[in-house]
Amino acid sequence: MKYLILIFGVAIVILACKKEKVEYVQTPYELKIPSHFPTMIIPEDNPMTVEGVALGRKLFYEKKLSGDNTQSCATCHAPSSAFSDPEQFSTGIDGLQGDRNSMALINLGWNTSFFWDGRSATLEEQIIQPVINPIEMHEEWKNVVSKLNADVNYRNMFFKAFNSSEIDSLNSAKAIAQFLRTLISGSSKYDVMYKYQNGFSLSASELAIYQTITLEEWSGYDLFASLNGADCFHCHNGPLMQVQKFSNNGLDATFTDLGRGDVTGNPSDFGKFKVPTLRNIAYTAPYMHDGRFGTLDEVIDHYSHGIEQSATLDPLIEYAFQGGVQLDAFEKNLLKQFLLTMTDESFVNNPDFQEPQ
Amino acid sequence: MSLFKRSGLILMIAMSLFSCKEDEVVECEGPVEMLRVTVQPVYGSEELYLDSSYVTVEGYDVRFTDIKFYMENPRNGSAQLIDAGLFDYRERGTLLLEAEGAYQNFNSINANLGVHSSINHNDPAAFDNESMLNISNSNDMHWGWSPGYIFMKVEAKVDTIADGNPLFDHNVVFHIGMDENFQTLTFPNVTWSDLGTAHEFALKLDMYNFLQNGAVTIDLKNEYTSHTAPGQEVLSAKVISNFRDALTPL
Repeated sequence: MKYLILIFGVAIVILACKKEKVEYVQTPYELKIPSHFPTMIIPEDNPMTVEGVALGRKLFYEKKLSGDNTQSCATCHAPSSAFSDPEQFSTGIDGLQGDRNSMALINLGWNTSFFWDGRSATLEEQIIQPVINPIEMHEEWKNVVSKLNADVNYRNMFFKAFNSSEIDSLNSAKAIAQFLRTLISGSSKYDVMYKYQNGFSLSASELAIYQTITLEEWSGYDLFASLNGADCFHCHNGPLMQVQKFSNNGLDATFTDLGRGDVTGNPSDFGKFKVPTLRNIAYTAPYMHDGRFGTLDEVIDHYSHGIEQSATLDPLIEYAFQGGVQLDAFEKNLLKQFLLTMTDESFVNNPDFQEPQ
Repeated sequence: MSLFKRSGLILMIAMSLFSCKEDEVVECEGPVEMLRVTVQPVYGSEELYLDSSYVTVEGYDVRFTDIKFYMENPRNGSAQLIDAGLFDYRERGTLLLEAEGAYQNFNSINANLGVHSSINHNDPAAFDNESMLNISNSNDMHWGWSPGYIFMKVEAKVDTIADGNPLFDHNVVFHIGMDENFQTLTFPNVTWSDLGTAHEFALKLDMYNFLQNGAVTIDLKNEYTSHTAPGQEVLSAKVISNFRDALTPL
């Protein structure tokens, strides 16, 4: 009988014992989305959390992501340049350069394709690539994982962000994507102009900004949006100052870089590139996919007189037959004044976006 | 029964008790019926592909590069299929809209080609995320609050000089919107095809008829641009009415 009780007791203990999994409850991250912006769609498999954003921010500035531990994402996407690179082509860890300009990282949460040729459909997918690109960070993810695993701080941060102490490329990309989705720019003078024009109520600080908008800036806005003026708004409009499309904007008659065509293989996509946002354009020089224009004046000159005809030229460049929209010097200056209203100092200097200490 | 057998029995009962777990009751719902409305662009008797060449009545080679339009408030009486469908041939293929519903409720459909003035000038960021009227989905089909949505868009490149040199350097841009160009569509006898997982109502958009609607023709060499701007009223009205007439059941 004693044996019976003993067996019974052991069985109960074994069955009742269950390893308790330690769980960390993440804190939801509330995005600061401006009132005139649409809702940002967050992927279901990567919800925004305070812990995820903090990890992503640290990883964004982490040089261990590169082969020789000298470069981070921020090397080619510097906050002081609105998360772009002031160089025409970024230089990787081996001293090699690509042939496309580093894109500015602004309001990416509303984008539907990434890279100049749109070869990535999600932010998470895009983030994987620069690490393994031999002309960029030239590292293998398994090495990155190993380096991060050696750091107890990272192990803790990953655990807090994903409830798993396992560090891998997917969770790393998810965390960085969460941080990138916080890089929202919607507090420029242009935003006040947009809100005023569309009947939004302005806050006291916005009203103060409204008082500083010059006649030249308003005139430049009119030109920007005018069919018979600069006609920019077909591709750059709304709160995001871009539409989601690929366009050949008349840079070349023949193409050395096929752009979107390289991805689709479709000749009708040759020479097309993703339409970028114009937000913070004063900070994102040089311009175009290959960074060929160093100044805004050169950009305006291109659309005014420098359009090259080709089979895939965007039909929306309606004045291509005469080389462009033919702005005179006075109009060019007005347009430039308006473009500068898209500068958002609170974005560039946001302490939440800087390298964590 | 020996002590060993008895203890084994007790042990098994104990294990059964501890391992038993009440199964979660899952309430089964019937399958959700999906309705799809598709639009197949054609050019006369042939299927139309973007960026491929077709010959106009005038003898020009034309390559359509973009065809988009809004069908808002498709309904049968008080039954609404969806708030709005957006046809975007390049990005979404032939799909105009997909919604839950019973096909028996839609044996006739009335709809709007464009966006009704009652919502055309609303905040485009305020529509539901799923709505094609939300600015994230409307993308370049929204002009701004005051003019509202672009109802229909046709962009093309045309070779107007028959010299054997296919330049296609003549750009065609029709962006038609504004309340005065709002159109209605009526499909009185809707036939739904059973696709197994959904029912489909198929439309066709004949771009040949769009250019050659009986006596109402659009000569792309001379009539190649309208943004529904002042001075473009006549061409704008012709473009959207021809477009409406080119949209028929397949």
